[in-house]
Amino acid sequence: MTEAVFQKERHIKYFLRCLKTFLPSLYTSNDSNRVLLAYFTVAGLDLLGELYNKTTSEERQGYVEWIYHCQVPSGGFRGFTGTDFGSERRTPENEAWDPANIPSTFFALVILLILGDDLSRVKRTECLQWLSKMQRENGSFGEVLGTEGKIEGGGDLRFCCFGAGTRYILRGKCGDGLEGIMDIDVDKLVAFIEACQAYDGGIGEGPFCESHSGHTYCAIGALTFLDRLSKNHKPIALLSPKTGPFESLVRWLVTRQTCELGDDEEESDEEDGHGVDEIGPLSATVEEPSLDTKVDQLPVVPPETEDSLRWAGFNGRCNKYADTCYSFWNTASLNMMNRLTLVDATRNRRYLLEKTQHIVGGFGKGVGEPPDLLHSYFGLVSLAFQGEPGLESVDPALCASQRAVRHLHSLPWWQETKR
Amino acid sequence: MSGKYASDPTWASVEPIPLNDGSETGTLPLATIAYSDEYLEATSYLRAVMAANEMSDRALKLTDDVIAMNPAHYTVWHYRVKNLFALKKDLTEEFEWLNKMSLKYLKNYQIWHHRQVLMSSRENFPTLPPNELDFLMKMFKQDAKNYHVWTYRHWLVRHFRLWDEPREIQDVDLLLSQDVRNNSAWNHRFMLRFGPRSDEPDGGMPNSTAPPPEKGRLAVVDEDLVDAELEYAKAKVIKAPENRSPWGFARGVLRASGRPLSEWKDFAKKFVQDKVEDGKVVDVEVKSSHAVEWLADTYGEEGELATAEAVRMFTLLKEKYDPIRKNYWDYRIRMIAPATWSQEIPTSA
Ligand SMILES: [Zn+2]
Repeated sequence: MTEAVFQKERHIKYFLRCLKTFLPSLYTSNDSNRVLLAYFTVAGLDLLGELYNKTTSEERQGYVEWIYHCQVPSGGFRGFTGTDFGSERRTPENEAWDPANIPSTFFALVILLILGDDLSRVKRTECLQWLSKMQRENGSFGEVLGTEGKIEGGGDLRFCCFGAGTRYILRGKCGDGLEGIMDIDVDKLVAFIEACQAYDGGIGEGPFCESHSGHTYCAIGALTFLDRLSKNHKPIALLSPKTGPFESLVRWLVTRQTCELGDDEEESDEEDGHGVDEIGPLSATVEEPSLDTKVDQLPVVPPETEDSLRWAGFNGRCNKYADTCYSFWNTASLNMMNRLTLVDATRNRRYLLEKTQHIVGGFGKGVGEPPDLLHSYFGLVSLAFQGEPGLESVDPALCASQRAVRHLHSLPWWQETKR
Repeated sequence: MSGKYASDPTWASVEPIPLNDGSETGTLPLATIAYSDEYLEATSYLRAVMAANEMSDRALKLTDDVIAMNPAHYTVWHYRVKNLFALKKDLTEEFEWLNKMSLKYLKNYQIWHHRQVLMSSRENFPTLPPNELDFLMKMFKQDAKNYHVWTYRHWLVRHFRLWDEPREIQDVDLLLSQDVRNNSAWNHRFMLRFGPRSDEPDGGMPNSTAPPPEKGRLAVVDEDLVDAELEYAKAKVIKAPENRSPWGFARGVLRASGRPLSEWKDFAKKFVQDKVEDGKVVDVEVKSSHAVEWLADTYGEEGELATAEAVRMFTLLKEKYDPIRKNYWDYRIRMIAPATWSQEIPTSA
C-alpha cells in the first residue's frame, strides 16, 4: 500500500474558508463557543504556517479588535458577543447575564498571542482578581460568576485547566505589577485534580467519575501550567515518573490507542459477549460448570496481524471507538508527561490521514464523517506532535505554536531580570 | 423586523437589542455564523429582558425558544433557573420539558447541569422523586455510556445517599448483563461499593490526600465485600476475556483494599497456558491478553527472581498480542530489567 499523504493545501483552504466566510447555520448550537471556534480557525492557519501569508495586517488587527470587543468591563472575556447588551445598560443587577467565561478567557488570550498582540489592553489585574473568585471551596473552578457572586457551572476539570492557563499567561514568571492581587489556592487545586484520578489510572470529570481522555488532558494541562510557574513547590505525583499515579496514568493513556474504528466492517467483527449475555435455554437446569471448565471452553486469542492493525486511532474511554479528537487529547497528555514516544505514531498517522482526513480538507470525527473545526484543528495538532512536515511545532499545554509561546514569554511580566 | 416576536402584542412593550458584533467599531468578527432570522430575533429579545433583569412568564417562554436553537448557551440556563424560582413555578412541569429536551439533545452538557441545579433544591425535592431513575434508564436505552447522565447519576447517589438502595446495584447489573463492556456501568459499580460516603469534602478516591501507596486505599476494608466483588469480576471475565473493564475493576478493588495483584495470579494463569515438550516451553496458549498483562505485573512485583518471567510476558504482548503498544511494553521491560534491555541494543551499526 502507498504511504498516506497529508493534504496540506486542502487544509489551508478549509481553514481559510472558515476564517473568511460564514460558518453554516448548523454552527448556531455552538454560537456561545464562538471564541473557541475562532481559536481553532486562527490557530489552525498558524500551524499550517499560513496565517501571516494569507491575511493582511489590517485583517489581523480587525480580528484583534473583535477579541477585545469580547472583553467584559470587569475583566475576563465572554464566549460570544450574543450576551452583550451594551456597556451603557450594564448594572450590578444584570451583569450576571453577560459574564466573563473561564474557557473563553483562556482562548481569547491565546488568539491574541497568536496574532502578535502584546496584551496591553487586557484588563490584567481585574481578570486575575475575577479568577480567584471563580475557585470553589474544594479547589475546583466554575464557568461563570452568577447572581450574588455565586460560582456557576459544573465542577469539571475543563474550568480548572483554563483557569490555571489564564493564570499562567497573565501572572507570568515574576508576577510583576500584581502586588496585593490575591492568587488562586494552588495546593487546593492540585488536591482536587489528584482526587479525580480513577481506579484504572485515568482521570474523570470529578472524583469517582469514569476516566475520560478529555478530562485527563485538562487535569494534566492544569498541573503543567501550575508546575511551570512554581519555583519551590513540592513535586506533583501525577507529573513525577516512577510514582504510582504517574505510571498508572501512562498505562491508561497508551491503552487508549485502538484499532476499533467503529466503521461498518469492524462492527460485524465483534466476538465475545457483546450484547445480552447468552444464557443457553438449558443452563438453568444443568449444574453450573466449574471455573476451570468454563476457561477450558474459551477460544484461544489469535495473535494480531499486520492487516488487522493497519490503522490505530485513539478512544476517549475504555471500550469505545476511535475518534479524531482523542488522537489529540491522549497524545497531548502524554506529551506533557514526556512519554509521547510510547504510542504507535505510524498507525495514528495512517488513521488520521486515511480514515478521517476529508477530501475537501479538514478532519471529521470518525471514519467518513464531514469535517468540523474542532476535529480539524485537533487532527492537525496530533500530527504536529509527531513532527509531520509542513506543520509548525506546538506547545501541548497552551496548544498553540511555539512561535506564539515565545511571544508570550517576551512580554514584560515574563522577564526575570528585576529583583 | 417582522418576526414572531415583533408581531406579538405580548412583546410590544419591549425594545429588542440587536446583536453588536463590533462591526461598527472597526472589528473584523471571527467565527461568524449564518444565523437564521428566527435566532437573531429571539436572541435580541433575550438581551432586552436580561438587561431589564425581567422575571416573567414571557421571559421564561423565550428561553424555551432560544434553548431549542442553541442548547449550549451558557447564561440562558442560569436565567431560566432564576425565573423558575422567582415565579415559584411547578418544577414537575419543568422536568417534563427537560426530559423531552434531554432525549432530543443527547450530548448536551448544560441540560444535565440544569437538572442537577433544580434537583438540589431541598425545598422542592426533599427525597428522590419516584420516576427519576426510570428516566435515567430511558436515557441509557439511547446511549448506555452517556457521560453526562452517569455523572448526574453519581451526583444523585451522593445527594440522596443511595449507595445501599437495592435499585442502584440492580440497574448496574442489568446494564452489565446487556453489555458487559459498558465501562461506565463498571465505574458506577466501583463508586457504589467503594466510594466515600461522607458529605464533605466532595469525596475523591479513598484516602485521596495521602501520599502513594496509601492514596486510594480504604481506611476500613470489608473483606467479604471485596471477595464478592472479585468473584463478580471473575464471572464477567469468563463472559468476555478480552474485555478490559472487569480486569481494571479487579485491579481497583485490590488496590483499594490493600491486597496484592498476586491474588489473581492463579486465575490469570488459567488464560495463559504454557505448552511444554521435553521439559521445554515450546508455545503459549493465550485466552486473554489482559491475563498476560496481569501476570507480567505480578511477576514484576515479585522481585528479581521473577523478572525473566515478567519480561517473557511483556514480550508476548509486544510481539504477538498487543503490538500497537510495542513501545510501551519495551518501556516496561526497560523499567524492570534495564540490564536485559541494554544487551538487546546492538552495540555497533
Ligand atoms: Zn471527537
